[in-house]
Amino acid sequence: MAAPRASLIDLSSLPTAQLNNVKNQLTQELQHLTTSFAQLKAAQGKFRDCGVSVRDGVGRDEGTPILVPLTPSLYVPGKLASTDVVLVDIGTGFYVEKTPPAAREFYSRKVEELGKNLLDLEKIVQGKQGNLGVVEDVLRQKVISESSNSGADGGT
Amino acid sequence: MADDQKQLQSLSDAYQKFQTDLQAAVTARQRLESQQQENIGVQKEFTLLPPPSQIYKLVGPVLLRQERAEAALAVESRLVFIDREIKRLETQIRDTQAESEEVKMQVYGLQTRMRGE
Repeated sequence: MAAPRASLIDLSSLPTAQLNNVKNQLTQELQHLTTSFAQLKAAQGKFRDCGVSVRDGVGRDEGTPILVPLTPSLYVPGKLASTDVVLVDIGTGFYVEKTPPAAREFYSRKVEELGKNLLDLEKIVQGKQGNLGVVEDVLRQKVISESSNSGADGGT
Repeated sequence: MADDQKQLQSLSDAYQKFQTDLQAAVTARQRLESQQQENIGVQKEFTLLPPPSQIYKLVGPVLLRQERAEAALAVESRLVFIDREIKRLETQIRDTQAESEEVKMQVYGLQTRMRGE
């Protein structure tokens, strides 16, 4: 929303303080976007892991001995009882029964969707980075010319 | 002069308050957006689901078996609610922005006047 408006204003005409504000705002936006990017990436990884678990874990014969995690550090031995259906969390508290191939299809679809979002986000991040670079350049030039101006004033 | 100072103080306080309100509204708006996305995802999942599949709903620590139509209806009504909330918040955000802009202008005007004196 701010970007198209900013491009209409000649950046070099802004005072240093305002440029600094613009820079800070851009930095903040960029940080927010980078965090979102990392979160999306993590979510994608989780879905991918789920897909792998369904393929490697449930893809075995019934009765295969397994270790079931009760907590991340406590496992109890068990046996694979049924490989016909798995219960998939599809969000907002809903779980549905799916066959393992359908579950894997679900997870790969999720990974794909997130991949698309990640690509979009990457483009936005790059654009913002470009904007930030431009603002920083102008700001630097301003500071340099201002300090050389005041230096000239002090000389006379 | 002292009056001006006092007025400036109250104006900037008001501005601060508007900014806090705005921040809260924007955060709420973002949360709604992500809930909306999640619900849309679930809705899509329901349409892709082959008919015999059993649907469960997590209620506290237990999974309850749910009818497909019931579940779809729940998601549908949630989406309607979220949609309404988003609209409401958006008007609120717009109003707060307008008001805070007005106060900002008043502050500028006052500052210029004080400098002129």
